[in-house]
Amino acid sequence: MSDTMGRIKQVTAELLGIDINQINDDSRFVEDLGAESIQSIELVAAFEEEFDIEMDEDAALAVTNVSNAAEFIDKVIAAV
Amino acid sequence: MAYQYRALTADEIEILTAGASRATDWTKVLVKSGFSPSAIRNCEFSGDIAIGSIGNELNPADNIPRQSGLFNARLHNVIVGDNCHLANIHGWLSNLKLGDSVIIENCGTISCTEATSFGNGCEIEVLNEGGGRELKITSRTSAQIAYLNTLYRDRRALVRALDKIAEDYSEGIKSTTASIGNNTRIQNCTVIKNVKIGEAAILDGAKSLINGTVDSTGAAPTNIGSDVIAENFIIQQGASVKDGAMLANTLVGEGSRIGKQFSAENSAFFANCEGFHSEACSILAGPYTVTHHRSTLLIAGMFSFFNAGSATNQSNHMYKLGPVHQGILERGSKTGSGSYLLWPARVGAFSAVMGKHSANFDTSDFPFSYVDIFKGRSTLIPGMNFFTVGTLRDGLKWPQRDRRQNDDKLDLLIFDVLSPFTAQKMLRGKKIMQELYEKTVKGQESIVYKAIHIKRLLLKTCPRYYQMALDMYFGDLLVRHMEALAAGDFAKGFGASEPEGETGTGDWVDVNGLLCRQSRLDRLLQEIESGQVKSFDELQEKLKNIHSAYGADEWNWYLSIFSELHGKELSAATKEDVNGILDFWQKASRKYLNLVANDAKKEFEGNVRTGYGIDGNQAEDFSAVRGNYEDNSFIRQLNQLVVEMEQRYETAKKIIRKNM
Repeated sequence: MSDTMGRIKQVTAELLGIDINQINDDSRFVEDLGAESIQSIELVAAFEEEFDIEMDEDAALAVTNVSNAAEFIDKVIAAV
Repeated sequence: MAYQYRALTADEIEILTAGASRATDWTKVLVKSGFSPSAIRNCEFSGDIAIGSIGNELNPADNIPRQSGLFNARLHNVIVGDNCHLANIHGWLSNLKLGDSVIIENCGTISCTEATSFGNGCEIEVLNEGGGRELKITSRTSAQIAYLNTLYRDRRALVRALDKIAEDYSEGIKSTTASIGNNTRIQNCTVIKNVKIGEAAILDGAKSLINGTVDSTGAAPTNIGSDVIAENFIIQQGASVKDGAMLANTLVGEGSRIGKQFSAENSAFFANCEGFHSEACSILAGPYTVTHHRSTLLIAGMFSFFNAGSATNQSNHMYKLGPVHQGILERGSKTGSGSYLLWPARVGAFSAVMGKHSANFDTSDFPFSYVDIFKGRSTLIPGMNFFTVGTLRDGLKWPQRDRRQNDDKLDLLIFDVLSPFTAQKMLRGKKIMQELYEKTVKGQESIVYKAIHIKRLLLKTCPRYYQMALDMYFGDLLVRHMEALAAGDFAKGFGASEPEGETGTGDWVDVNGLLCRQSRLDRLLQEIESGQVKSFDELQEKLKNIHSAYGADEWNWYLSIFSELHGKELSAATKEDVNGILDFWQKASRKYLNLVANDAKKEFEGNVRTGYGIDGNQAEDFSAVRGNYEDNSFIRQLNQLVVEMEQRYETAKKIIRKNM
């Protein structure tokens, strides 16, 4: 598991109040982890804080699962 | 008028008597030339009667031809216009003046029993059930006038002056005779007492109408339907009240629809409101207030451009000093099913309320927000409602759903979702969030601002949503201005203030649907207080001037804050500066439209398909019922907005290349 993936799972587990072991690489934030639309915004904010980055809102909110989020964040970090 | 009428001849009286009609004194029955005594049968006359030309065939709007005349009716002190058809009046028609081509059939008693102003001047207790904000309703009361009269109670001279305008108007129409206008049709109504009815109205099946006005014109006919019970009321042009609605001390504004057993007391509904099934008590329902569902109670609140979800409820009473609390949902707000608000509370513009709230919060600094429950506490998600598909749809649909057909509309409306009113709030909200964020520490879950929780993480990201909206709004404003300028005048006009507009960065207010500069409103209030405005006509004229100044004021306000936003005046902006604003506009608009499209897409995929395909054919069933994302009419409209935005961007760029 990449460092990014691990941190994403940690942040997600804390914010959604679920056990980190329930989160797989292909877990979908809404359907599998039960994130509501408001929590999606919070997740974006939490990832930004965790990785000290700023993400494009519409692109970030279009990310639907954990592995896509890791990929997306890695790209943002690389572009900084 | 009197010279048009003449006394009956002996031959005519003989024909009338032979037709089973009688009069307490035939000399008091006057008729017009064109009068045919054979068109009166089995009628009883008392008091002063004047009858117009009758005997011709009538072809009313219901397409059932009738002979004009009086059949099985009792009249006391009635003036009957030309070509009227009065038939089967079981009680009395008394103290009435009927216009031409009026039809009254199968009715009980329609009468005027005393000197009355027909509901005009009735005092109703809006917004605060405990009183203190009484509004004298009249057929000239607009949303704006009601706002001034009820929301500025600390300005005693203003309230006195506005009350006097309403009293003078009411006194001016006071009469012991109720008029019924030309081409009005009244059928199957039981009791209509002390009610003035305008032209072309249709009243069919009303149970009891007492002390009121049904304002109506040929251009905007008003409709009163079955089983309506109303007392002390004003129903304005083009409105519809039917299906067992019950109104007491209530005004129904132009183009509004009330029905399906809705009940309202001490309430005022302005243009294009809709009230069905549910209940309203002491509300100031601004334009486009909509409540459709049973178990919904709107009480002691001010609303506009509002949609109430089913079982929406508020409390204005803590069993202490009575029902004295009140609340405000600013324009464009909506409440989710089963939502509850404990008054006092104030919800910012274009916000959505979900869940049950017992905190007395004020979110007016944060428009376009979600007001939700998190861990049992009222929680604000600022800006979240901006990029939902619902908000965009609302903004597009309101102007298209203006049902008012009359030329001289009472309520003066500015429909814009993005406006100086919302922009100033977003600028303020952004600043507040940034300041609050700086005071928080990592690990802190939320802060409390004006009695509502905001999550710390959102304080960092939500200002960006506001910025996106502001970039869109300011860019659009700039492009609109550029588009409006003739190419030849571009250099002269770009960056120049509109001479008729207000200047400065002062506040904007929402006067119940009319967005305007606070300074303009203040001047109007002073003029009213000083006695310079003495009648509804004068007041409406002043309000129209404010309404028509909106565009100029909006532009001048933008110019005033431009230097705060960009560090220089727009008149000093370089080509690069303007191009930069346009680029931000394009980027924000693309992002916004993309977010809205993604939000709309959620209506077609994932869990929203739950329940479709009861025996396994989910995709096919969903597609058959809901259609596809790509083919959805709103999505097509959204795609068109994207195309238009890109075209406008290119055009604006060309204008800059040519002129700067």
